[in-house]
Amino acid sequence: MLATASECTSGHVTSLTSREHSRWRRASDPGEYAVVTETSRIRNFCIVAHIDHGKSTLADRILELTHAVAARDMRDQYLDRMDLERERGITIKAQAVRLTYEHGGIPYELNLIDTPGHVDFTYEVSRSLAACEGAVLLVDAAQGIEAQTLANFHLASDAGLVIIPVLNKIDLPQADPEETAREVGELVGWDPKDVLRISAKTGQDVPALLQKVIELVPAPQGRREDPLRALVFDSTFDAYRGVVAYIRVKDGVLPSRAKIHLMAANADSEAEECGVFAPEAIPVPELGPGEVGYLVTGMKDVHLAKVGDTVTTAGKQRAREPLPGYREPKPMVWSGLYPAEGGDYTALRDALDKLKLNDAALQFEPETSKALGFGFRCGFLGLLHMDIVKERLEREFGLELIATAPNVEFHVIRGNEVIVVHNPSEMPPPGTYDQVEEPVVLATIVTPSTYLGAVLELCQSRRGELIDITYLSPERAEVHYRLPLAEIIFDFFDQLKSKTRGYASLDYEPVGYERADLVRVDILLHGEPVDAFSSVVHRDKAAQYGRQLVERLRELIPRQLFDVAIQAAIGSRIVARETVKAKRKDVLAKCYGGDITRKRKLLEQQKKGKARLRRVGRVDVPQEAFIAALRVDQRAGQKAGQRTGGKP
Amino acid sequence: MTAGLYVHVPFCLTRCGYCDFNAYAGLGHLAWRYVEALEAEAGLWAEEWRTERFGSVFLGGGTPTTLDHADLARLLAGLRRRFDVEPAAEVTIEANPDTVDAAKLDALREAGYTRLSMGAQSFDRRVLEALERVHGPASVRRAFAAARAAGHTNVNLDLIYGANGETHASWRRTVEETIALRPEHVSAYALTIESATPLGRKVQAGLVPGPDPDLQADMFDLACELLGQAGYRHYEVSNWALSGFECRHNLGYWRKQPYLGMGAGAHSYRDGRRWWNLRPPAEYLDVVEHGRHPVGGEERLTQEDERLEEIFLKLRILEGVPVTSVADEVASGFVEQGLLCELDGHLVPTERGMLVLNEVVLGLAS
Repeated sequence: MLATASECTSGHVTSLTSREHSRWRRASDPGEYAVVTETSRIRNFCIVAHIDHGKSTLADRILELTHAVAARDMRDQYLDRMDLERERGITIKAQAVRLTYEHGGIPYELNLIDTPGHVDFTYEVSRSLAACEGAVLLVDAAQGIEAQTLANFHLASDAGLVIIPVLNKIDLPQADPEETAREVGELVGWDPKDVLRISAKTGQDVPALLQKVIELVPAPQGRREDPLRALVFDSTFDAYRGVVAYIRVKDGVLPSRAKIHLMAANADSEAEECGVFAPEAIPVPELGPGEVGYLVTGMKDVHLAKVGDTVTTAGKQRAREPLPGYREPKPMVWSGLYPAEGGDYTALRDALDKLKLNDAALQFEPETSKALGFGFRCGFLGLLHMDIVKERLEREFGLELIATAPNVEFHVIRGNEVIVVHNPSEMPPPGTYDQVEEPVVLATIVTPSTYLGAVLELCQSRRGELIDITYLSPERAEVHYRLPLAEIIFDFFDQLKSKTRGYASLDYEPVGYERADLVRVDILLHGEPVDAFSSVVHRDKAAQYGRQLVERLRELIPRQLFDVAIQAAIGSRIVARETVKAKRKDVLAKCYGGDITRKRKLLEQQKKGKARLRRVGRVDVPQEAFIAALRVDQRAGQKAGQRTGGKP
Repeated sequence: MTAGLYVHVPFCLTRCGYCDFNAYAGLGHLAWRYVEALEAEAGLWAEEWRTERFGSVFLGGGTPTTLDHADLARLLAGLRRRFDVEPAAEVTIEANPDTVDAAKLDALREAGYTRLSMGAQSFDRRVLEALERVHGPASVRRAFAAARAAGHTNVNLDLIYGANGETHASWRRTVEETIALRPEHVSAYALTIESATPLGRKVQAGLVPGPDPDLQADMFDLACELLGQAGYRHYEVSNWALSGFECRHNLGYWRKQPYLGMGAGAHSYRDGRRWWNLRPPAEYLDVVEHGRHPVGGEERLTQEDERLEEIFLKLRILEGVPVTSVADEVASGFVEQGLLCELDGHLVPTERGMLVLNEVVLGLAS
């Protein structure tokens, strides 16, 4: 960033060093604020891509090319700050970085907005896109168009962005740039000859890409004189500075220390500081129309600065209309989180409170399970979000957790009343309500045509309703299905991958609630229902589901001193039963040569093993059993990580 | 309360696949030094243990009968000289059928060994092969007859059940054949797979199936039935004896009487302290030959240790624990399940209870 300071037009503060910044601070006088980059020389863009098509690598190359990061400070996936992001090779939080790049002798201010890359975060992605005028649609020349390519293209196109298609990884021997260019050209409406071909890995033709961005992405609109409207596209909680919002100014000017108003939250505050990331945080006196940066809000609660909200000026100059598109974050997947050690309940509550500071989408409420004790029913945007929260709780807070099988939110209709059910064990008994509704998604699956049959079969078996099939090329098909979300969070992605040898890709978006014939399946251990094992399943599959779970539990529950019956029940009807036979032999055979010490140690070991079991009624249940209840789901959860990960 | 004296002889002709004891094949060349070291070690402990009266001596291994009978005689004489061993003490020596003949058995009796514990393991050839024993069933019969001929009137046969290939029927034949010989004492151990043994590695690698615990339970039941009918009293989880022939030495371990163990890896106990000698014979020899105590480690029992040991040892020998010493609801649960019964204010395991004694002990101790 130091290198770019000299390239800046004099008077511009885009690239102030910290030394200059402190000087500027002393001279601070609101009347003498320098004009920020002229709007006509700003380009706001993002890179969208299917997972593993090279988005983070391209961002790294651009950072290098614009000297935003000194070579010695460079590391892979520079913009992914969280350890988890690096390990999984995904972006969870959005980032914005201001870059300077000269084209035709004129320095341009490029704001690269790095969007989260997962179907769980579609709404967050849409807000990041709304902060841009253009999008680079990056496609792996060896893989071609995938489901998230399509989903991202449609999101960007709906947001009215100029889309620049780019083929990546053309240095790979298996790359097929001609075919991929044809596919992409057809999708975007470009002549395949004009589709840029780069290698983010080697840096080949990345400068040409930046030139295209400057030439094709329109400069932002917006007038300084208008009332301030700035879009919040992400927010985080900083222990020292409070809530920091990532914003894109649409209209007007946001000066540091302005009195601000958040329109959806209906909250007032005073901006403590505005700044830009270049890529480290650098304060600026103001953010003008079209500019992207951060705002230290002076607030202490991240829920007052949610993604999609509009920042305006407090008082008379307040904008009349917020920016369009705000939506309350809505959890799609629910799961019970319980401390493995009962005593950690308070620690878990504190940890969730802390995580929530930084994660406006996370919801939780205390709940009590007969089997698992005190814990929380938590709402997540999706399986990956759930996985991430759980992993952060375990890693950053040192907690050992038991998670119950994830479920969707059900709506139980009784007359005019809608009962919202987040926990299957709270599902009212059959006959006490009129109907149940479940969330439905519109899924996009891209698959090689050879596996089309297998994909259709899978979707049919998951209560899917075919919308249409189109062909990207004779070899590759794009399939649209309506599917219950509950079916997707249950092993779907895993099955899809295995039936297509890993070639199919999936994306989906929620499209509302629909009536379904759902029943609650309960599991009884030794005659006692175990709430943590209850699930809500379609009636046609309930018996089979019960049988599978009962069988699985029989493998996992250790033999006890008595026969343990494991039953699955729908209402009062038992649909499956297995027995864990009583254990008959558990004794140390020989006391050899007076070595009592060893015997005692073996017993103590056995005692420790028993301590890890949960006593449910009279039955000792290993913690794995609670996870096994979601074995299939669990695998899907891991795969969800892989699909966004996969980088070493 | 008398004390026990244990002497460990770590030498074997071959190493059996299931055995994880401190025993070695091919170290016979150390035997003469080892016998001298044992005598030297006895000298090191003599003063400290002067006040104890020893009711039993036990030569275990390994295979003590791999030593020359003159050495064995000299060893016992040395112990009697240094320690206060009762004239009528029980003096046991472990023997493998192939390491004893009429002359040796005669000499042992002459030397004062009053009890012979023979590693028969099985009368089924397939089982002996699965256990990698070098002897066949005929050797056991021959050795037993030789022992009787030599005048040994207190003989134990060790049996192991649950090896690969053993069936309920073949185990029945082994028990019946054992009973037919009328030894005074029978030990029957369920085969336990130890991971650090050749057999353990084979089981882990899936080359050999591990014992089926349910089949072993059936075999245990059968042993209880047949030996009981034949007049043997089941006095410890794995031990049966004709009246008056219970092993005094082993009972000493379980009753927490003091014992002094000598030789490589031998364990000792006195006044709430347990300690053990260095395990490798070469190290043991080196330290003793330099005139130092060959102790390799020790522990002092905490109250919690004492309690756990008390419960598991007393339950093993069917003396039981006082009803008042354990939590009522736990105990009554086990009584209802038929795993414990109440006898003279003590909780004693039933035969079913003995088979799941770990569970019972952990339940009572918690």
